[in-house]
Amino acid sequence: MTSALDRWNPLTPLAAAIALVLVAFAGPQPWTPAAVLALSLAIALASGIGGKVTVLTLLVVVPTFALLVLLDAAFPEPAAETRWIPSRSGTLDALAISLRLGAAIAALGVIVVGVAPRRLTRALAARGLPAWAAYLVIASLEAVPDARRRAEDVLDAQRCRGVAVGKGTGVRGRLRALPALAGPLIVGLVIESEERALALDARAFDARGKRTALAPIADPVGEIWARRVIWLALAAAITWRLWEFAHSLVIAQVSRS
Amino acid sequence: MKTGELALSLRLRSVSYDGRVALRDIALDVARGEIVGIAGHVGAGKSTLALVAAGLLGRSMPATIDGTIEHPLGGRPPAAFVFANPSTQLTELGETVEEEVAVGPENQALPSEEIRARVDGALALADATWLALRLPRELSGGELQRVALASALALDAPLLVLDEPTAQLDPGAAAEFASAIRSLCDKGAAVLIVEQNLELLAALADRVIVLADGAVLATGAPYDVLGRVPPLDARLGSLRAGYSRPRGRRTRAVDAEPVLRVESLSAGYGEHVVLDGLSLTVNAGEVVAWIGRNGAGKSTLARTIMGLVPTRAGHIGVGVTDVTSLPVHERARVAGLVFQDPRRQLFSRTVLEEATFGPRTLGASRASALAQAREALLVVGLGGRESEHPGDLAPQLQRRLAIASALASRPLFLMLDEPTAGQDAEGRSFIRAALEMQRSRGAAAVITHDLKFAQDVCDHNVTITHGHVSHIGTISLEIDFSGR
Repeated sequence: MTSALDRWNPLTPLAAAIALVLVAFAGPQPWTPAAVLALSLAIALASGIGGKVTVLTLLVVVPTFALLVLLDAAFPEPAAETRWIPSRSGTLDALAISLRLGAAIAALGVIVVGVAPRRLTRALAARGLPAWAAYLVIASLEAVPDARRRAEDVLDAQRCRGVAVGKGTGVRGRLRALPALAGPLIVGLVIESEERALALDARAFDARGKRTALAPIADPVGEIWARRVIWLALAAAITWRLWEFAHSLVIAQVSRS
Repeated sequence: MKTGELALSLRLRSVSYDGRVALRDIALDVARGEIVGIAGHVGAGKSTLALVAAGLLGRSMPATIDGTIEHPLGGRPPAAFVFANPSTQLTELGETVEEEVAVGPENQALPSEEIRARVDGALALADATWLALRLPRELSGGELQRVALASALALDAPLLVLDEPTAQLDPGAAAEFASAIRSLCDKGAAVLIVEQNLELLAALADRVIVLADGAVLATGAPYDVLGRVPPLDARLGSLRAGYSRPRGRRTRAVDAEPVLRVESLSAGYGEHVVLDGLSLTVNAGEVVAWIGRNGAGKSTLARTIMGLVPTRAGHIGVGVTDVTSLPVHERARVAGLVFQDPRRQLFSRTVLEEATFGPRTLGASRASALAQAREALLVVGLGGRESEHPGDLAPQLQRRLAIASALASRPLFLMLDEPTAGQDAEGRSFIRAALEMQRSRGAAAVITHDLKFAQDVCDHNVTITHGHVSHIGTISLEIDFSGR
């Protein structure tokens, strides 16, 4: 799929996403992750991938929040008098954790949904990512769609032999159809992995070798500076948080003595 | 480039897989400017020889090689290879066709401008420029074969090894391919080509080596070796015997009842309309060829008849049944389709079990299914191999097993998609027998670019162009498909 992020060098949104995730975890809670979550969703919306990123985020955040609240209610503090009623502090903790997780998912979701894997690996390869690692990234991202395509092919072939699947097929019918569907799929995937190795070999693929690109990803000076600013800002934020942490330790030490 | 320099020098005592000898006592040299053809029956060792020549065997694919393989001209890689199954060529490293073609030059770490020149040149030579921005996984078999060829050409290797490169190309594309290979050769490339199409091989190769059971049976000028009567090897056939038409041309069975009726059929994928108001009939006792350029809609027509592609408009009738709204498994009672890739369907432990699966699924008793399966296996030349594992069969035999499986279900109308790809003369005669059996039970359609087979077996052809029927008539080897 294409998104507005394709106008950028993929390394720029990647740097921004990593920085946002670290800021969400390192910054003051719960406002920093809430702000990161809002910013990430806004970027996703502006890039035309708002729906997918929101669904992805909700799929992780809502069950996490519900589970944490449930755990708090099921196992209350020893001092609490009631069971199965969530405490205010427990609910706020659950919200804080879910917000952090949501911020991370939304920020990284923008990359997963909005940046084409092959563009990303090409940009990373230009920065020295080895060919084997680039192939591993693409193969991992393509594994599920590949298997799904192959499964559809097998399904078509077996349906043409009278195998009934889908609505109206009972459990027994589905179980009976399983070997006819799983057999060619598994064998096909094994054969395909052997064939892929042969295909790569035939095309001069050297896992340790350097690769160039038909269309190198442009990396304008503005984006290079933008990434530098992001990394500097991130370093400053982390340093500030570490300084704060060290300061609080010193204060605690002084007050104890 | 200088012609005459050796690009390949092979001296093989043996090549074996897990102790099973596939090739023995082979001496082969291929020089620049030379096209050497390899012919032989199914299982003769042709593909193994091609893989060895390209230096691929023993690396990605395990095998024991006793002998020497030299590529005196070097190169990275020293040989470019085109696989028999074009989907094997895809690395998935590129998203579009041009990116996939660029994978080789990218691996060679060439500058972008040179990669662009190589990609454009290779796509033009393979007549695939029009596919440059398409997604490889959405291409038809023939289109994919052009991309596979372009991917190999983009490597600009001194030696080009081709394993059945025209099996899925339409006749026009095959002729263009032959002329492209000849011009490459004139520029100094060395070419080794494995091909079952003996006529193409005879027209293209400077000399031919015939393999039989892993050893060299004969070598020499194409017409001297392939044109012998009786043929050197009956399984391979010969130029004349393999392409003669044994009977008079049949006329259309106009008085017979129609077995297939397709009326104003429209179908496609997403927004892409493939079939556009297509109408045709196939009568009882007919075997027809559905022909046309790659991507014309032939396979989509078959898939729509089976219900795998939804019908947007029109009607499909098989026998007395209007199947337009029936689910696929119900249509399978009256119609059958054998796909190009038999590996999609083979799953049983034995050949016999595989052939009984269809009839059993459609409700036949075990005894009937066994009888029907044995009969079908005998027709396609797999009688006596019932207890073998389908996975152990050569791809060409797997294809015949898939045909037997469909035949055993006894559909009224049977469609075979590129059934002769990779088949030797013996295999083609078995497929012909299968179609004759189907003719006696109903009717059949063969989607094919193999016009000689169509001329020999089919009653008439239906030419499909841009999703509709553009011509119905007798089969000529000079059919000129209209442009894309």
